[in-house]
Amino acid sequence: MAVRKKQRLADYGLNSERLLMPKKGPGVFEQELGELEDKLMLTTVAKAVHWAQGNSIWPDTFGLACCAIEMMSIVSSRYDIARFGAEVFRSSPRQADLLIVSGRVAHKMAAPLRQIYDQMLEPKWVIAMGACASSGGMFNNYAILQGVDKIVAVDIHVPGCPPRPEALVEGIVRLQEKIKAGVPPAYEIRGVAS
Amino acid sequence: MAVTEPRRIYTGSRIPAPIPTVLQVPADVTDPEDILQVNFGPNHPSTHGVLRLVVDLSGERVVGLRAVIGYLHTGFEKNMEQKTWWKAITYPERIDYVSFQNNELAFVLAIEKLLGVEIPPKASWMRMLLCELNRIHSHLVWLATGALELGAISMFWYCFRERERILDLFELCCGTRMHTRYFQAGGLAEDIPRGFFPECRAFTERMPGAVDEYEMILDRNAIWLERTKGLGLLSAADALALGQSGPVLRASGVDWDLRKNQPYLAYDEVDFRVPVYYNGDVYDRYRVHMVEMRESTRIVAQALDRLEGMFGEPWIVDDRRFVLPPRHELHTSMESLIHHFKIVTEGYRVPEGEVYIPIESPRGEFGCYVVSSGGPKPWRVKFRAPSFVALEATATCMSDALVADLIAIVGSLDTVMGEVDR
Amino acid sequence: MHLRDEEGFNFLSDIAAVDYLGWGERHVAGYFGTAAGRDLGSQSAQGFARTPQPKPARFAVNYQLTSVPVGRVVRVQVWLEDGQSVASVVEVWPTADWHEREAFDMMGIVFDGHPNLSRILMEDDWEGHPLRKDYPLGGEPVRFSGDE
Repeated sequence: MAVRKKQRLADYGLNSERLLMPKKGPGVFEQELGELEDKLMLTTVAKAVHWAQGNSIWPDTFGLACCAIEMMSIVSSRYDIARFGAEVFRSSPRQADLLIVSGRVAHKMAAPLRQIYDQMLEPKWVIAMGACASSGGMFNNYAILQGVDKIVAVDIHVPGCPPRPEALVEGIVRLQEKIKAGVPPAYEIRGVAS
Repeated sequence: MAVTEPRRIYTGSRIPAPIPTVLQVPADVTDPEDILQVNFGPNHPSTHGVLRLVVDLSGERVVGLRAVIGYLHTGFEKNMEQKTWWKAITYPERIDYVSFQNNELAFVLAIEKLLGVEIPPKASWMRMLLCELNRIHSHLVWLATGALELGAISMFWYCFRERERILDLFELCCGTRMHTRYFQAGGLAEDIPRGFFPECRAFTERMPGAVDEYEMILDRNAIWLERTKGLGLLSAADALALGQSGPVLRASGVDWDLRKNQPYLAYDEVDFRVPVYYNGDVYDRYRVHMVEMRESTRIVAQALDRLEGMFGEPWIVDDRRFVLPPRHELHTSMESLIHHFKIVTEGYRVPEGEVYIPIESPRGEFGCYVVSSGGPKPWRVKFRAPSFVALEATATCMSDALVADLIAIVGSLDTVMGEVDR
Repeated sequence: MHLRDEEGFNFLSDIAAVDYLGWGERHVAGYFGTAAGRDLGSQSAQGFARTPQPKPARFAVNYQLTSVPVGRVVRVQVWLEDGQSVASVVEVWPTADWHEREAFDMMGIVFDGHPNLSRILMEDDWEGHPLRKDYPLGGEPVRFSGDE
């Protein structure tokens, strides 16, 4: 893979931390690794793979309710998500990397949701879009699953009811940064079945 | 099964018996082993949401059909019983999440009818304007996803371009793109910002041109015509028996539009046409949607004319029993403070009674049945969702359909699963 | 209990079932009138507490009917106790099929003669009827980070 000149790990990963703390310099680990890279002019296969994975996440069509309409609008030309690498929304979970759970999940739908998640191949990521997917939202009752992270391992929660398309795009961008920084997908972190 | 000329509307009734909503495999089918049962599961790419169809196929023909719903059941009605009237207004919007303000309108009109108040004309006209914008929005989403499923993928991008403009208008006026919660019991929550009028005017000038573009792409497209003409036939008598309303009913030849026949808000003061077509197929439903988009734009333009003259008028009734007093009064008047306190902490009380308000949502008759016990919370709220009823008609429309037609027909019924499952 | 012939009411808009368990147990106060106007004779107009009129039975099934070309609207109310059943109107208005299933699923009202009375919105093996007044709202208590 062609390594662009002088691209350090710091340039790829965890930019969002910098947004919160703009005066923070690079951490010790990053600095050391950056110096090592400079001296040896190499990159690791893992980094290359993460770069490729992060830049080509293909979501799965899992629109459930109102958030699905905002999810459709990120496909449209104003908030085009193809420029971030999510070129197409695959309908088959076997061809998708990312499951964006957009909308409220009823208990009746929880079983198909888990089945779709199981049918996806590793590595796979999950974004819980909206308040209802993250935590049950305004519906704290008998019918709605209070947070989709009860049944699948979620990487990113995007708040909002429904979240603006820009918010969802930010969620996907942060997921990309997470992947490129080498953070493993949520099911590995939580140690749950995938 | 090649059809050389589109099938005409049928006579008699095609409603399956004994169960009107289930098409059952006929007993005289030649080889039962040849029937393949396919599950169009709750997650499928025709983005209507979570509908499950259990379909029996003999080759490519659909011989049996059963719809399973409930995958998005949210318990709206139970939740609304636990919240005060003020808080409960946020719930109905999420029911039909594509035409959100129409649902809010039905509930708020029901509250106002129980309270017995008359809202100021500015609020009436603005509500009507927003509901018509919402109707255009809903039809755009319908057209985008409907055409997407039939293969006309580029329609999605064209329709969403206009849809983004409408959502910009909502954001300008109401503060957020979707689920605006702008209607209040008694009028509107806030005054209309002045910048809204020129933007909305610019939109009404652009929109007919956009509809022309869509028709240019689809109207005489041989593939579109082949895939929509003569399919999903529903006669007028069957449509009425099955409780259909809205574009599905008007495409079957019945001239019934709640905006004209049982007017609410200010619909009797605007001039618009109601499209009625007589073939009852998917193509006619498409034509009804397109004409409705144009007519809605005309209504929006007329409403803008009236609203520009009403600048400075009150946007909400000044009745302190259920409307919060303006903030500046709280500093000087003790009674305003008390009213504010009572309304915010305990919630206003709506007199005892029951009422059913039907409105014309983009899908048909959206009704809200409210029972009040006189307390601060609703006793029972029931929503009559047109998509729920539209799905009952799938079995009837599906006679002699192929698998590919199944998608077109279910799409043309314009269902939103949030409404169906509530 | 009544089977209505189509006296020109050819359109069934809605079947709404209401559970009146607990109606009238709490006094209601503080409102000043009814939808018909301010009635100074009624106790509630003065802001005093009053109990709402009791209802004939626990459940009411409301049929909302419209006569389509003409535009007349009527609402029929059928009162039932828990355990009683009402005749199904599916032969008269086929649209009642799913409405009655929903009323059965949510409230537990049995419709005699319905061809397929099964649960429609909840899962098939769900126990209980969610919209009854004695069925809890469910859900989880919200946990706050400061509590732990």
